[in-house]
Amino acid sequence: MKLSYLYEIVRFVLLILLQVLLLNRISLFGLATPVLYGYFLLKLPMGRNPFFVIISAFLMGLMIDIFLNTPGMNAAAITIVAALRKPVMDLFFEKEEYDEFIPGIYTATGPFVRFTIFMVLLHLTLLFFIESFTLFNLTSTLLRMITSSVITILLIVTLDSLFYKRKQSEQL
Amino acid sequence: MRNLFNFIIRYSHWLVAIMLIAFSFYLVFAHNSYQRSVYLTSANKVTGQFYTISNNLTSFFLLKQNNQQLLERNAILEKDLYSLRAYLDSLATADTTEVNAFVRDTVESPQFDFIPAEVVNLSFSGVNNFITINKGSARGIKPDMGVISQRGVVGVVSHVSQNFSVVIPVINPKFRLSGKLKNSENYGSIAWDGKNIRQAQLLELPRHEAFQRGDTVLTSFSRIFPRNLIIGFVSDRGESKDDNFNTFNIDLATDFYTLQDVLVIDDRFYEEQKALEVLLQ
Repeated sequence: MKLSYLYEIVRFVLLILLQVLLLNRISLFGLATPVLYGYFLLKLPMGRNPFFVIISAFLMGLMIDIFLNTPGMNAAAITIVAALRKPVMDLFFEKEEYDEFIPGIYTATGPFVRFTIFMVLLHLTLLFFIESFTLFNLTSTLLRMITSSVITILLIVTLDSLFYKRKQSEQL
Repeated sequence: MRNLFNFIIRYSHWLVAIMLIAFSFYLVFAHNSYQRSVYLTSANKVTGQFYTISNNLTSFFLLKQNNQQLLERNAILEKDLYSLRAYLDSLATADTTEVNAFVRDTVESPQFDFIPAEVVNLSFSGVNNFITINKGSARGIKPDMGVISQRGVVGVVSHVSQNFSVVIPVINPKFRLSGKLKNSENYGSIAWDGKNIRQAQLLELPRHEAFQRGDTVLTSFSRIFPRNLIIGFVSDRGESKDDNFNTFNIDLATDFYTLQDVLVIDDRFYEEQKALEVLLQ
């Protein structure tokens, strides 16, 4: 129980650093940039207190914004996603599943992938449209949004199957 | 009453979410790039340190390329030195009775001073591009100073902390600069359309302006940059919004992908010129 909180803090910090130091420098075909930090929200236990989810998401967005000089943009997008996390989860997962259940590719493949796709699309749609308030260019925004979403989803599914394999099989 | 409290308790996380979202949007709209606080940018100390460490690691991989650029630059300077030497020699052997009407006053210090700095972070994944450099107010850097690389114009300093500065590069939609073709005096404005990091646009140039592919684009009147600095090279005619004006796509001289070392231009007369021009407004 205590150890899982430690994992969460480490994951929080690592995802921020990974995003600002590495992923944000990637611009595949001049379009696609992986936006991985939302993965933090996906890997929280299902029954986690919504206050905790929303506030930690906001802090994460703010940290990303401070590093990337985009005041409020990432914070706004990820906070909206965090607020909608619970209703979206109820859509994709069985309600009777217990509170400490952490969604993962090995524990619930279909629902997890669908959940990931929905959350990433939501997050990136919000992010790119908030960003383009300053520079509106619909076709290029849509193109960047779609390519970035595809890359982010692929990255999340890959990472999840890499890092949670051993742990899950121990549990099973 | 009890139901009401239950209702509030049950849905209070929505209230928190709405407040935080509202605050975020306040940041988005209120903190325009030119006024926002240094604390919320990569010029603050903590983020600057992180970027410095990461840059120390990554700069290693670009050493070869940068070395190559320095060598090329060195070759150009060497050539200039040679031609100037030859010119000096020709002066020495020339008629010594010739009147030099314009004797350069060597006591007078030059107008521009250059402060070398290193890039510690670059962001160009989206449209809000910026560059962080590792010199700040402690080394005399102030907002609105121009930044150049060995190849050409890079951008303008927007925020300064003690040891770091944030630069708005040419490839930021907020960047504006007047530019002209090398063989003409008509000037237009340089802007970036957000599509390609290697290309910017030269807008509002009169229709009759002749151009050829590869023509050099230089800085024109500017409070920030000295005249005739290289910005880039004309690549082709772009889409123009207005029939009376031409738009050119230009290949930027500065390669932002491998940018490592920059010079910040300290214009000694900047304050004086600005103060004088403000009088008229």
